[in-house]
Amino acid sequence: MISCIDITHEYPAHGGRRRVLDHVNFDLEPGQKLGILGRNGAGKSTLVRIIGGVEIPTAGEVRRSMSVSWPLAFSGAFQGSLSGIDNLRFICRIYNLDYDSTRAFVDDFAELGRQLGEPVKTYSSGMRARLAFALTIAIEFDCYLIDEVIMVGDARFTRRCQEELFEKRGDRSIILVSHEMNFIRTVCDSAAVIHNSHFTMCDSVADAISFYDSL
Amino acid sequence: MTTLLQSFAVQGTVIWALILREMQTRYGRENIGFLWIVGEPIIFCAGVAILWTLIRPSHEHGLPMTAFVVTGYVPLTMWRHCVGRGVKAFEANGALLFHRHVTPLDILLARWVLEVAGTLLAGAIVAFGAIFLGFMEPPVDVGLLFLGLLFQMVFCLGCMMLIASASERSDLIEKFISAVMYLSIPLSGAFVMVSWIPEKYQWILLLSPSVQSIEMVRAGQFGPAGHAIYDVIYATWSIALLSLWGLSLTLRSRRFITVI
Repeated sequence: MISCIDITHEYPAHGGRRRVLDHVNFDLEPGQKLGILGRNGAGKSTLVRIIGGVEIPTAGEVRRSMSVSWPLAFSGAFQGSLSGIDNLRFICRIYNLDYDSTRAFVDDFAELGRQLGEPVKTYSSGMRARLAFALTIAIEFDCYLIDEVIMVGDARFTRRCQEELFEKRGDRSIILVSHEMNFIRTVCDSAAVIHNSHFTMCDSVADAISFYDSL
Repeated sequence: MTTLLQSFAVQGTVIWALILREMQTRYGRENIGFLWIVGEPIIFCAGVAILWTLIRPSHEHGLPMTAFVVTGYVPLTMWRHCVGRGVKAFEANGALLFHRHVTPLDILLARWVLEVAGTLLAGAIVAFGAIFLGFMEPPVDVGLLFLGLLFQMVFCLGCMMLIASASERSDLIEKFISAVMYLSIPLSGAFVMVSWIPEKYQWILLLSPSVQSIEMVRAGQFGPAGHAIYDVIYATWSIALLSLWGLSLTLRSRRFITVI
C-alpha cells in the first residue's frame, strides 16, 4: 500500500510561495489503478513526483509498503550524455538486474536497434519514451507511476504498452496522469481530481471525469 | 541487523554503479578513457615536480626538492580535485536522484573515491618514477606517511560534503570558491613547512588540517631530518568535526536539490 499523509507542497513564486498541493490524503491499495485528473499546472505531476520520491514535500509524508517505480515521464531517469546502453547498464546495476536478459527485453520492447548505442540526448521524444517505458517495465515494481508518457508513441507502441502493463502486469497498482479521458475510462478503476491545490477522490471514474469536464 | 547490513549492501552497489557511471561520463571511451582519472593528476604532479626540480635549488632548508614537491603537491591536488568536484555535484547528478535509493551522499562518496584513488595512484606512480630515476629517496617511515594521507583523505571528504551542500543552498558559494581555493594555497602547507616560519606565527599554519596531514606525510618521507610539526590529536578532532558538519548538511540537502 502507498499512503499519502497530509502532503502539502509549496513552490517559491514571485517573492512569495505558491501552494500547489494542500493536505493531500489518500491510500493506494495493491492492484488499484488510480487516474489523476486536473488542468495544466494543477499539481498532478508534482504529486506523482512526490509519491515517487523525486521531490520532497514541504510537509507531510509518503509511506510505501510496496515497491514504487520512478515517475515515468517525458524527462528524468536518464543521463542525456550517456548512450541508451550505458543508461541501461546503470539501471541494471542499481536495481540488481541481470544485464543480458534486461538488454534482450529492452531491445525487443523499445525496438531502438543500433540507436541504443547513441547518446540519449540525440533521441526523439518517441524514442526516449519507448526506452523509458521499456526500462521501467523491465523492473518488476508493485506500483508504476505514469505521467502522460504512454500517449507519445505510435499505435503499435501503445498496443504493446497496453499488453505489457495492463495485461501481463494486471495485478500491479498504477497511478496514471492523463488528459486522455477515454484512456482513463478504460484503464482506471478509480480516479481523483486536483483543482485549486485540493485533491478530491471521486466515487467513480465517471464522476471524476464529469467533475473534470465541469472545471 | 540484517536490514542494516542489507541497506549497506544496497548503498555499496549504488556507489559502485555511480563510480562506473562517473568514469564513463567524464572520460568516455576515447583514447585511454577512464585511465585519465590517474592520467590527469600525473600530468599535474609530474609537471610540477619536474619544473621545480629544474628551476629551484636542489635543496631547500636541507630537504631535497623533488621529494618536497611530490609530498606536498599530491595531497594538495587531492584536496583541490575533491573540492572542485564537490561544487554543484548534486545539480550535475540531479537525474540520478530519480532513483530513490540513490542519495546525495552516494553521489559524493562515488566522486570522492574516484578523486582519491586517482591522485593516490598518480602520486605513487610519480614517486616510484622519481625514486627509480634517483631524484628521490624512499620514505623513511611508510606508516606515518600513510597516516598523513589518511587524514588528508578524510579532510577532503569533509570539505567536499561541506562545499557540495553549501553550493546547493547558495549560488554565491560557486562564485567565490575558486578564488578562496587559490588564496588558501599558503594555508595548505604544500609549499612550506611549519618549522620554516617564525615560531610565533606557526600556530596559524597549524590550525589548518591540511597542514597537519602534509606535515605527517613529510615526517614519514624525511624522518627526523624533516623537522615536521604536527598534532595527531588536533588533526583527529578538527577533521572529525568538519566531516560531521559536512555529513549532517549533506544528509539534509535532498530538499534543496531540484531534480529535473
